[in-house]
Amino acid sequence: MAKDRLAEVLERYEAVIGLEIHTELTSLKSKMFCGCPVEFGGEPNTRVCPVCLGLPGALPVPNEAAVEATVLAGLAVNCDIALWSQFHRKQYFYPDMPKDYQISQYDLPFCSGGYLDVEVDGADEYTTHIGVTRIHLEEDTGKMVHVGGAEGRIAGAEKSFVDFNRAGTPLMELVSEPDIRTPEEARRFAQKLRLIMLALGVSDCSMEEGSMRVDGNISIRLHGETELGTKSEVKNMNSFKALHDALAYEIVRQADLVDAGGRVVQETRHWDAGAKRTSTLRSKEEAHDYRYFPEPDMVPFAFTEEWVESIAERLPELPDAMCERFMTTWELPKHGATVLTSDLAMAVFFETTVAEAGEARAKSVANVMLNDFSAHLNADGVAVDESLVKPSMVAELVGLVDDGAISSKQAKEVFSAMAETGEMPAVIVEARGMKQVSDIVAIEAVVDAVIAASPNEVASYRGGKVGLIGWFVGQVMREMRGQGNPQVVNEVLRKKLG
Amino acid sequence: MIDLSALSATDIRDGITAKRFSAREVAAAAFAHIDALEPAIHAFNQLTPELAAQAADRIDAMAAAGEELPPLAGVPAGIKDNMNLVGTRTTCSAKILANYESVYDCTAVRRLLDAGALPVGKCNLDEFAFGSSTENSAFGPTRNPWDIERVPGGSSGGSAACVAVGMVTVSLGSDTGGSIRQPGALTGTVAMKPTYGRVSRYGCVAFASSLDQIGPFAHNVRDAALVLNTIAGKDEMDATSVTESVPDFTATLSDGVKGLRVGIVRDMLELEGLAPEVKASVEAAAERYAALGAEVDDVEIPAARHGLSAYYIIGPAEASSNLARFDGIRYGHRVDDAIDVLDLYMRSRAEGFGPESIRRIMLGTYALSAGYYDAYYGQAQKARTLIIEDFAKAFERYDVLLTPTSPEVAFKIGEKSTDPLAMYLSDVFTIPLNLAGLPGISVPCGLSEGLPIGLQVIGRHFDEATMLRAAAALEADLTLDMTPALAKGGLDG
Repeated sequence: MAKDRLAEVLERYEAVIGLEIHTELTSLKSKMFCGCPVEFGGEPNTRVCPVCLGLPGALPVPNEAAVEATVLAGLAVNCDIALWSQFHRKQYFYPDMPKDYQISQYDLPFCSGGYLDVEVDGADEYTTHIGVTRIHLEEDTGKMVHVGGAEGRIAGAEKSFVDFNRAGTPLMELVSEPDIRTPEEARRFAQKLRLIMLALGVSDCSMEEGSMRVDGNISIRLHGETELGTKSEVKNMNSFKALHDALAYEIVRQADLVDAGGRVVQETRHWDAGAKRTSTLRSKEEAHDYRYFPEPDMVPFAFTEEWVESIAERLPELPDAMCERFMTTWELPKHGATVLTSDLAMAVFFETTVAEAGEARAKSVANVMLNDFSAHLNADGVAVDESLVKPSMVAELVGLVDDGAISSKQAKEVFSAMAETGEMPAVIVEARGMKQVSDIVAIEAVVDAVIAASPNEVASYRGGKVGLIGWFVGQVMREMRGQGNPQVVNEVLRKKLG
Repeated sequence: MIDLSALSATDIRDGITAKRFSAREVAAAAFAHIDALEPAIHAFNQLTPELAAQAADRIDAMAAAGEELPPLAGVPAGIKDNMNLVGTRTTCSAKILANYESVYDCTAVRRLLDAGALPVGKCNLDEFAFGSSTENSAFGPTRNPWDIERVPGGSSGGSAACVAVGMVTVSLGSDTGGSIRQPGALTGTVAMKPTYGRVSRYGCVAFASSLDQIGPFAHNVRDAALVLNTIAGKDEMDATSVTESVPDFTATLSDGVKGLRVGIVRDMLELEGLAPEVKASVEAAAERYAALGAEVDDVEIPAARHGLSAYYIIGPAEASSNLARFDGIRYGHRVDDAIDVLDLYMRSRAEGFGPESIRRIMLGTYALSAGYYDAYYGQAQKARTLIIEDFAKAFERYDVLLTPTSPEVAFKIGEKSTDPLAMYLSDVFTIPLNLAGLPGISVPCGLSEGLPIGLQVIGRHFDEATMLRAAAALEADLTLDMTPALAKGGLDG
């Protein structure tokens, strides 16, 4: 869909978007209510026990680490932590749910009333305040595979298989206030939340593997209107791009409907990333009565202020604070600091490199990382910790440039070789004979030769065409196969020509 | 052959230690007795002679090696068929689980067997413990050894009957609204529901999670206390089990009741439908307490009159949820010609559940439905709070409370099976304890026309010791012979 189509619609209508974001607590050792390990994949039905299989007589015992992780997440997005909270049963029948109810939270979640301030850049850079209604904890379901039938759905399938390895994985659900107005804000909110979860170390937040799942509730209304329009819920947005595109599609679809005199129907819609469209998954009439009631197999949670305080003490530096610190401590521009702190591994890489290279070289390190390193990660499609380039290499490389051993132009070549082979820059420089020549005697010899060979140019220069200095530098550098220290070459040339 | 009816749990352990007989011989005596009487009683869904023999061999090996035997060494035990034990089916007397093989052990059962008990078999019950007569079993009713035309009570009717007739020395039952105590009263056995949280529920197929509690049946208070010693205590697998310390419940049994403050719950004794001979027997028991030196007085628990209605909201609500998992997907009965998943759910469940299960699932589902929750579940929880408060007030002035266990003695098979409300009244005295989480014990206090009457002694939370002491004092004072004629005849034959 064309971008201007969305822009045109948003001029006439205001979009109202709320997100529901499920995050699996993948970094925990065990499932939500039993001791089975939390891992992605594996032979079907191998990471199961009587509890997560819902066998007769089995009982859930809450994983305290999951409760702590949820409270930590709540604190990170400025939530109030309830001193009295409880699990409820959410009841509906589905084959991927072993007990035919999900242990979740209802009116007494662990966290509520938070917010995130989200920066949206572009031509009109701004910050928007998005409320976090609540964060609660629940258990994930198993996974189904349907054979035969359409679109891998259960309806019409010939056979269905259930894998309960994922069943009982701790799942945190964040519900935002309907404060989001554009698909871009939604994407920024989800990305920022992901960064925070990564910084907290509670989840790997992989949208591909489903450990972070974002659903959106969207409605439109005329600008200035205070009543909410009828919403649709969109599911199956498996990347940040999908999130953006699906919401954009849905806003335009609703606007087209209303423009044509129709009405938006409350329903759940499925985003098809291939076809770039949403389609009806189920209507409101099919909505369940979940018959929530307090989970009688567990006692309610009574937290003390002191306990919440002790969790708050475990909060690591969050992305916003880290970005701020990078700007002040290392004197980086906002954009650079934002990029470096938008990926925890990137930030750690940067700080490790600076520690090795020396604080004075922080800006040089940042430059290499924002340019060569970022380009390499993008081009090779690798994550920071998968790259052959290590902090010690970047530190050494920056040192070589700073000491004048190689030029910044040579540094680019060295970086490429580094990324390809994983060799230390000094080794590459040595092997390629790239070492920059700063020896005045050697440079003077070349300069003398160039001056002798270019009487016309020398005459012009001395006649006032000082711009020719660049041409002379080029000649000298060519003779020296690029290894002359440009600064020294410049000085010697000016002296000899002057 | 050993006369098991003459032996307490401790007698059996001592006999094996002294090499007067072996655990194998005890098991043989139990199964001989079962062979003779089980056809008439139907206390068991499954007999487990191999498991009993293995357990007996372990005990005999220990005895041969001169090791100290565990407290229930060689004691034949029945296990209600809603508790998991590897090597057995756990059917809950339901068609939907008729072929369900346990893959793990119920904690209480594991503890009982670790204490040396011999697992004789899995005892019949009302399907999923829904009932007060054991008539709601998919495998046929259990009969009362005192009169095989009558019910043994329920839902733990099999566990009660097998103890009453002496097939086993002790058994485990589960009690959600009276399912241990009421059959205890109707079969003349000692039957106890511990404080909620005292015994792990892990592995006992849940009926109503906030009410269920496992407890023992025995011939005498001391054996019941011994069993409680072994099964009580925190279990990491049950988040509602408590860390409260577990005393030796046998230590204070013979301390008497002098100075004990005993409250008779007067408003319960005035309840319409209470059989006059039951009332008289309970009042006579109260007089015995006074004679033994206790301070006996009347007390009222007015909120208890809401117990039955609150229970029939909360119990079915939780049951409807707990029984959802029996859906034919992973285990249990499944129709083989389902056209889609909804059809599979609906027909597997319709075929697999009996009428009382379906009734309770529907009641509970309704009570939790949108728009009805506050009016039913919410109100029931309020009533529950009032009952808790009334008991708390009473226990400020009394150490134990007395009520009848059941409003009447054992009724005829079929007498109430078509009238659910009449059946539900069977638990009017026992239900309030489950709602309040209190411990209660039914101890025989007399006979009416040859049928046992039970007195319910109620204790404070986690004060089973005082409750057991009061029950033991009455037992010692009355010296009733609670062996049904059938048991005596069975032994002779």
